[in-house]
Amino acid sequence: MDIAYYPGCSLHASSLLYDVQSRRIFNEIGIYLKEIEDWNCCGAISAGKVDDLLAVAMPARNLGIAESAGFSEMMIPCSACYSRTLVAQKALDEAPALKENINAELSKKIRGKIKVSSILEVLLTAVVSGDLAEKITKKLKGLKPVCYYGCLLTRFPQTVSVPDDVENPQGMEKILKVLGVNAIDWSYKTDCCGASAAINDEETGLKLMASIMGDAVAREANCFVTTCHMCQMNMDAYQERFCKKYDIPQRLPVYFITELIGVAMGLSPGELQIDRHFVESTRLLKELNLV
Amino acid sequence: MTASALEFKPESANSLMKEVMERSGQNLTACYQCRRCAAGCPVGEETGFVTPDLLIRMVAFGDREQALNNQLVWKCVSCYTCGTRCPNDIQTARITETIKKMSKEAHLEALNHKVAHFHKSFTDAGLGRGRVNEMAFMTFYEIKNTITEIKKLNFNNIYKELKQQSKLGLSLHKLKRMHFGFQSAKGRKELKRLYKMQDKIRG
Repeated sequence: MDIAYYPGCSLHASSLLYDVQSRRIFNEIGIYLKEIEDWNCCGAISAGKVDDLLAVAMPARNLGIAESAGFSEMMIPCSACYSRTLVAQKALDEAPALKENINAELSKKIRGKIKVSSILEVLLTAVVSGDLAEKITKKLKGLKPVCYYGCLLTRFPQTVSVPDDVENPQGMEKILKVLGVNAIDWSYKTDCCGASAAINDEETGLKLMASIMGDAVAREANCFVTTCHMCQMNMDAYQERFCKKYDIPQRLPVYFITELIGVAMGLSPGELQIDRHFVESTRLLKELNLV
Repeated sequence: MTASALEFKPESANSLMKEVMERSGQNLTACYQCRRCAAGCPVGEETGFVTPDLLIRMVAFGDREQALNNQLVWKCVSCYTCGTRCPNDIQTARITETIKKMSKEAHLEALNHKVAHFHKSFTDAGLGRGRVNEMAFMTFYEIKNTITEIKKLNFNNIYKELKQQSKLGLSLHKLKRMHFGFQSAKGRKELKRLYKMQDKIRG
């Protein structure tokens, strides 16, 4: 099955590993990610704080491109891009005049309603169909992850319908079950890591991250699993700093869900680029004889 | 920082309320001050007693000065917890986002200039080339920070900031997560035209 794919800027840069893993594992499942042509930045969370029109227009252009190419569904792995695109679609739907004005300048017009999906939604269809289970060659015994969803996968600045529980989402837990993993229940699965606060308001960012880490450690998790590359980057790149600052002796790998699926499919850490984490992340997998 | 007692200013209450409600798309009159937003705010300890409900009250009271000049506006991380839990569907994060813009239009100094520079640099980078190039974006962001710090004669901050960011950059490079290639979208022209037409659309 072909599906439109919007990687977003970061998946072509510092989080390229997420793009590589996603393409690889979806290929295995038989879902072929077709990157839409000449896509542009969605404006992320920043555009909404700078200019209201851009916050809608930037994702709108991408919607037009995907629709013109004939796709009925577009998957967006980045939580910020997913959130912005979904919210822009809703805004366009509610304001026909705005849609008309934006369409007037777009070479590829926004028409109807392409379905905007998060990576979890697409993966969950493969859980239901059994396509994912079919490709799993080993169970990830010994892994004790906490599933970290972050903000943007379930909470939106506008009311949009999302297929998971807002306060206690279960998508990642369901996927992990297929990999033979029972995720640990915890209190911080949708708490905020601060996102750009790590860069522009460091003290606040480090404090938020340390609270998340503190709960994961208290629950005796041995790793995090996430789908958000900003959560991944923050919890990984800043872990040494916030742990030192808040006296947390443990260090935990922060895996993308795609990495764990890849390992369960028998793919190598090199192929999945698991060696590109800040916190050493292949050691745990080796200790548990998973790679 | 503490907020001083609010004073109802009938002469400005209507216009301020109307502007914030229209621009944010939020119905502030629905707020009955239950403070569920305040209970869930992850930066609540950092905002000097200014909670989302209090921000709404500042606007309702017409206290433009406090509404446009408080830590919540600049500490808000747009996690949307407040709005998701609001029994009346008020998304306060949309209000802080709106007030950031209003405060800029009023030429007020951002309480955290790094936050203002970050979001402006990011949006400019995304619009400018059609896609964000992390290195270029971060360079512009740091130039803006440096200029602000020089104006304030905070040379130590410049040193600390550049040291911190070079360390992060170096680790990213070691892990092959730094990319020097340049990405862009040709269709950015369409977005730039739209941006110019902004006033027409607003009108």
